[in-house]
Amino acid sequence: MSNKKPPKELLQKISDNKGIIFKICNTYCSNKSDREDLAQEIMYQLLKSYHSFNAEYKFSTWMYRVSLNVAISFYRKNKTGSIISLSEKQEDWEDTHPHSSELENNITVLKQFINELKELDKALMILYLESKSYKEIAKIIGITETNVATKISRIKETLKLKFSNLNQ
Amino acid sequence: MNDTQLKNLLESYNHKIEEAKVLNLQSWVLNFRCFESLQKQKAKSKLKSLINFKIFAIVLGIVWVLFLGFLFFHSLEMSTIFFLVSCGSIIIFTSIAIIVYLYHIVLIGKINNSENIVKAQETIATLQLSTINITKILFLQSPFYCTFWWSTQMITGSPLSFWLVSFPIALLFALASIWLYINISLKNVNKKWFKILFNSPEWTSLLKAHHFLEEINAFKKEI
Repeated sequence: MSNKKPPKELLQKISDNKGIIFKICNTYCSNKSDREDLAQEIMYQLLKSYHSFNAEYKFSTWMYRVSLNVAISFYRKNKTGSIISLSEKQEDWEDTHPHSSELENNITVLKQFINELKELDKALMILYLESKSYKEIAKIIGITETNVATKISRIKETLKLKFSNLNQ
Repeated sequence: MNDTQLKNLLESYNHKIEEAKVLNLQSWVLNFRCFESLQKQKAKSKLKSLINFKIFAIVLGIVWVLFLGFLFFHSLEMSTIFFLVSCGSIIIFTSIAIIVYLYHIVLIGKINNSENIVKAQETIATLQLSTINITKILFLQSPFYCTFWWSTQMITGSPLSFWLVSFPIALLFALASIWLYINISLKNVNKKWFKILFNSPEWTSLLKAHHFLEEINAFKKEI
């Protein structure tokens, strides 16, 4: 990588889409220091890979591709101990908009469920939560639209089943 | 739980994951003045250290080949056929290993995080798995380290020690290396002997890469 400063427009675009980085770091990493390391790695790779950005596509699509690829590689290197315990979650996830206790519990269970998904399914879930179209998800992940639809539907069914079992 | 409840829950989760406090993360990401120090720090990234390791191995390999080449050409007349064949074979195998390492460096350079997830992750996992080829080649040259000091005088002078000790050892190495060359393959990664023989962090990551590649292939399939 050259020592040239990154173009201002790129930094602005990354800043506008910083939610992508936060979301991916929160989904793939169990603790704060890992999240910071991953965010740093993602930033570095975004700046390094900017030359490969094709202006014909949406910037966020490119940013998702780079960030998810970095996150999956990072996750695979640091897999041990990545499962978040429920108590750890409470400590790490306090935010400024606390919800009702039932919703909090459901979110905790949902987070645990997503955390237990395989790397590629997690990526799928992140994009689904972002309300991306199946077409765009397929483009980012590299599988067909039909496959995206099938997998998401399967994940949702498993999730519903999990909550039904919990409530019994 | 019905569809609407699930949809609401997913929305709440999505909102929370975006808003969740991430210590120093936000400030770090937005602090672009850190960029220069980041560049220096990242110069020592793991990928870079992997490339450095491979370059070191290539340099070492070239020095070894040059040294053996020097011995080979300067002892063409006075040496025995055993030395020349052994030395020549080791030169060939080491050169192949150097070429494979060079190929790895090219592959590392080709890793593109802007590719779709499946394609990029497939490339990375395949690269990790190609370590297996180097090991196979290096095993294959091992018998020649047992034969370079053989000579016709040794065979005729003390045939008993040659046929009872030296030859069986070399034969054992040859058979073992051929067997390993054939059997060190991805289809055997889960076999017990494979795990015992290659119980090291590098091989553990190789196993992980293999499982991940299987996972990617299963993920790509439309069911």
